[in-house]
Amino acid sequence: MSEKLPLLIPEIIVFLTTCIVMVVGLSPNLAVRRSCGLLSAIGLVFAAIFAVNGPAGDGLLPAMTPYAKALIALVGVLLVLLVAGTVDREEDARVARGGVFDALRTNRAEFYSFILFSLTGAMLCASATDLIWLFLALELTSLPTYVLVTMSTRGTRSQEAGVKYFFLGALGAAVFLYGFALIYGGTGSTKFVDISAAIADHGMNPITLAGMILAIIGVSFKIAAVPMHFYTADVYQGAAAPVTAFLAFVPKTAGFLSLILLLAIVGWDHGSVIAAGHALPSELRLLLWVVAALTMTVGNVLALLQSSPKRMLAYSSIAHSGYMLVGLIAGPGAYGASISHNGIAAVLFYLAAYGLMNVGAFAALAGLERRGRDGRPVEIDSFDDLRGLCATHPMLGWTLVVCSLSLLGLPPLLGFFSKLTLFTSGIAAGEIVLVIVLGINSAVAAFYYLRLAGVAMLEDATDGPQPGLAPFPARAISGLIALVLVVSLSFFGNGLLNASRNAAVVEGSGVRAPGHTPQQPGQHADEHKDASDPAKDASTSVAQRVGA
Amino acid sequence: MTIVSDIMASVLSAALAAPESAHAVASAVEPGPWWVSLIPALPMLACILCGVCAAMRVKSKLPAWITVGCLGVSFALTVAMFQQLAGGRSVTVAWEWINIGWTDTHGREQRLLANFGFYVDSLTCLWMLFVTGLATLIALYASEYMSHDVGAGYCRFFAAFSLFVFSMACLVMGDNLILLYLGWEGVGLCSYLLIGYFYKKPSAVAAAKKAFIMNRIGDLGLALGVFLTFVQFGSVEYKVILEAAQPWIAAAQAGHFSEIPATVQLIPILLMIGAFGKSAQLPLYVWLPDAMEGPTPVSALIHAATMVTAGVYLIARTYPMFLVSEYALPIVAWVGALTALVAATIGMAQFDIKRIMAYSTVSQLGYMFAGLGVLTSTGAAFHVFTHAFFKASLFLSCGAVMHGFAGQLDLRKLSGVGKMKGWLVVTIAMLVGCLNLSGFPFTAGFFSKDMILAETFVTPGMAPIGWILLLTAGLTAYYTFRVFFRVFVGPKYFEPGDEAHAHDDHGHGDHGHGDHHDHAHAPETDHGHGKAHEFHPHAPGWAINLVLGTLTLCSIAAAGLYFMGDHGGWVGKMVHDSSAAIPAVAHDAAHAADGHGEAAHAVAHGTFLGMDPHKAMYYVSGVIGFIGIGVAFFLHYLGRTTAATANADKLLPMLGPIPRLAQGKWFVDEFYDLLIVKPLHLISIVFAYVDKLLVDGLVNLFGWIPRAFGSSLRPLQGGNLHGYAVQMAGGVAVLLLIVYLASIAGL
Repeated sequence: MSEKLPLLIPEIIVFLTTCIVMVVGLSPNLAVRRSCGLLSAIGLVFAAIFAVNGPAGDGLLPAMTPYAKALIALVGVLLVLLVAGTVDREEDARVARGGVFDALRTNRAEFYSFILFSLTGAMLCASATDLIWLFLALELTSLPTYVLVTMSTRGTRSQEAGVKYFFLGALGAAVFLYGFALIYGGTGSTKFVDISAAIADHGMNPITLAGMILAIIGVSFKIAAVPMHFYTADVYQGAAAPVTAFLAFVPKTAGFLSLILLLAIVGWDHGSVIAAGHALPSELRLLLWVVAALTMTVGNVLALLQSSPKRMLAYSSIAHSGYMLVGLIAGPGAYGASISHNGIAAVLFYLAAYGLMNVGAFAALAGLERRGRDGRPVEIDSFDDLRGLCATHPMLGWTLVVCSLSLLGLPPLLGFFSKLTLFTSGIAAGEIVLVIVLGINSAVAAFYYLRLAGVAMLEDATDGPQPGLAPFPARAISGLIALVLVVSLSFFGNGLLNASRNAAVVEGSGVRAPGHTPQQPGQHADEHKDASDPAKDASTSVAQRVGA
Repeated sequence: MTIVSDIMASVLSAALAAPESAHAVASAVEPGPWWVSLIPALPMLACILCGVCAAMRVKSKLPAWITVGCLGVSFALTVAMFQQLAGGRSVTVAWEWINIGWTDTHGREQRLLANFGFYVDSLTCLWMLFVTGLATLIALYASEYMSHDVGAGYCRFFAAFSLFVFSMACLVMGDNLILLYLGWEGVGLCSYLLIGYFYKKPSAVAAAKKAFIMNRIGDLGLALGVFLTFVQFGSVEYKVILEAAQPWIAAAQAGHFSEIPATVQLIPILLMIGAFGKSAQLPLYVWLPDAMEGPTPVSALIHAATMVTAGVYLIARTYPMFLVSEYALPIVAWVGALTALVAATIGMAQFDIKRIMAYSTVSQLGYMFAGLGVLTSTGAAFHVFTHAFFKASLFLSCGAVMHGFAGQLDLRKLSGVGKMKGWLVVTIAMLVGCLNLSGFPFTAGFFSKDMILAETFVTPGMAPIGWILLLTAGLTAYYTFRVFFRVFVGPKYFEPGDEAHAHDDHGHGDHGHGDHHDHAHAPETDHGHGKAHEFHPHAPGWAINLVLGTLTLCSIAAAGLYFMGDHGGWVGKMVHDSSAAIPAVAHDAAHAADGHGEAAHAVAHGTFLGMDPHKAMYYVSGVIGFIGIGVAFFLHYLGRTTAATANADKLLPMLGPIPRLAQGKWFVDEFYDLLIVKPLHLISIVFAYVDKLLVDGLVNLFGWIPRAFGSSLRPLQGGNLHGYAVQMAGGVAVLLLIVYLASIAGL
């Protein structure tokens, strides 16, 4: 067991940070309490450093583990900055007026530690090697978010959203847990490598297949794919904007990592007519195909009708999940394929890009507030509040404009390149119809993203009281960092592209010769080091495939 | 489905397939020193800092000093790069920029590799030396020239100026065609921004748009050329494509053009179209004279010395590819020669001195193209180099006059400027520039022009071009000295410009920028300083004089380069070490007088009226220059009646409608308008209706469908928890059913 510890150092760091934050957040000293966010960010940065320099995982996609952990930790830093001031605002004001500090009435400690717990869960998903581990990691990701939603604003809408999220989340968990149980029943193992070997040797029996289908649909709840998407709009709108940004990234990333792992168990080497040798089993392909097409279409057409930018972004996040599913269907292609042929790499790249753009777009919403009827600050929640933002608050305005154009996929921004890789990998896998659906949906998405950008950039501010800046510079800083990253990665994104390509190498994909025996974890790590010569590897895999 | 994807794949692979030759090993190109990247980086830094100045509302000359400083360091680095070079070739990769690899359906590896890398050979150095050097000097000049605009406009000017130098550096130094294209579009953008600097003046805006649109036509050719290069050679890197063209050169020299693939022969023709646009050649030259709406330093740097020579650079850089094309170089030669002649005839009949200089630029660019076309890349490059200096000094002198006389540019309204106090440096600079331009013996312009003229008679079949260019040389000498004799000598007389329709800096004063330098209400007695005194031309200050003096010295010194070595002197050596070198065989085939292999080649060698062109041309072109200057002296100095009139005017009726047509620029603009703009406008009206009725209707329909679909989904989002749970469970059931039915049906 102890040999797994080096693999878990990032999670352990985040967990230790969680413990510290939980104590620090209860300090009677305001300055100490306020350091929660900073401490969390520092812990996440360290986790990212250790993830990058740490060992590769021991699952089916060993190189994905460090990439995914670093991605989660780094976007986590931006999210931690973004949530500044979400809780305890009134409490701090009361203490500042001379009230007595009451540890029972503050929420800061729980709030930040729940965020870190959720990030830990997402990271654990990346290193899962076992169905039970995966289930626990997914639940560790989700359970804190139910509370985060509930406590994020003081209104009843948050509570309603939290309750809905919890119950529907439990329903989703039940579905995939049922699936996991069926997979165990069908193969006799919960370990990924064993299941994978069993499927390779005996094919998929109906029970395994049913389990796999249920597992995929259940995990779809995390990524808000049809038909598990119903909660999205209500929950996203009920939560405070920074928490919504969190929901749109962290559970979604955990969900996609889990889906990649689940599909890697099955493998993309179930030849079909369309792409000889490289495809999912036809039932799973059909399932994902229908889900992908429905998800992007439903997300986009519902986003069209929204009058609230937050709700619009919520629906569009559904659509983005649909886009990324195309990459999952395409699969990793031939061993050592370039990113334009590797759908998994495209998904990993898209997750990173989406994380940044999402933070940027929500930062513009979270950075503004207006006075409610009772004089309390409330979030802005209409396009009118964003009118002329580029003139009134240039930094937030341009962040919003650039990020929404990037989300739309306008060249030469980051979102264009990430979407392009999805297109090319889809074409390479022969999924022409699905790629056409993706193209049409991108065009529909242009309508509402351009509206968002246009409102901020082209229109004049409305008369009457203008929304002001929220008094938390960390939110604007987070948006600014996201903006800088989106713009700079648009031009110097090669490193990220290569990283996601290297991360998406599925061990054993396409080389499963008859009589293939499951490899032991230790061997895997060694093999990965040997694989530093891609040309050699590619040639062997081709040779083996020819032999097979 | 299978069929569709197969077809797509095969089409894609056919389009992207490259022959085996693409993978030929590149010649010895060494990695260069890292600091070469600073040469373009520093102007970019200056651009960013000027942007920061604009954001911080700096109201001093700080942007100018930033720009001059950065460009100066950049120039120093260029000199260092030149010192380090020693005839080799090197590539410095700043960072990996585009690197896309894929495997086509035939299993071949394809790779589009375009680094942000800098290819440095002697041709690069030659160009960069005058680009950064002149940019530094002209930025210094502009610091004084633009001083009336200190504030936001000043920052904007220097930001665009620095951005231009950055783009030009990318264009010249890029190690691949994509980076060249980036620079090419970058200089086009900066040219647009700077021509339209006075954006409140309709004519400036129109000129900026005209320049931009005319350049688009050329750029389309360039883009197609780059695409075709990639398709043909599988790479856009110079070190690969220049090597790849080598095997065909021998065939081309033997005249066996049918052995060379048609695609290879098409590439240079497409690149050439790009060069014609950027370097203002027929039929795309009309934008350059109008570009004089920009501030004069811009005209001097961009529209005389550097950007417009980008076309010459492109051809020189990809010369091996031009050598293997049967028609490319002859077309270049003829277009160049005709452009030279047409522009010179127009220049003769203009009255606006800056416009005359603009037409002379077009004309001289024609010479350079003709030089390239008749296989003297050395002559072309030498002419680019000398022309950069003397034309910059001519423009800056005109700018100084314009600055001093409140925007006056009409040669009928200025006279005897040289006799006025404080105008000595300007007059000398102008005189030296004019001598160079008219090819006065022993000036730099004389040697570089001779090299081209001689080669036209050496190259078989190109003698008509030589005669055209000789005639043009005479016309050039005439119109150049027409300006000098009318404006700088003769009786002292001037009318200050009416700023309201001036061509330059003060022009926007009456649009609300009003500072108290505002000359807007300046008829002859009040030029806006608030006192009703006589107009005093204000003589140029130290910066302008310093720059003009330096440039004059440079253009005199450039003549010395001719004597630094055989075969075209220093520039010849530089060109010979670079990709623009003409391979020995090709050169010798037409070239006996060089001394190597004369017996074999004397047959092919052309003559000039039975004499050796190289020697004869010294005398012939010298005499023609003298004739041109003499005619100008006779008509416009001796024949001057008043400031506005000369005896020359009496000759005009004898020439019939020609002077009127020439003054109207042969009505080429009107011709284009009638032939292209009007029909397009008509078609656009038709399409506007089609768009409104049909396309908009369809778009609205497509917009309506998702909305209707969305509305029908909306009731599902009722907000009811039970409802959601039921729908989710139902969804799971439906999906399971779909998969089940599909697997039964065997899909």
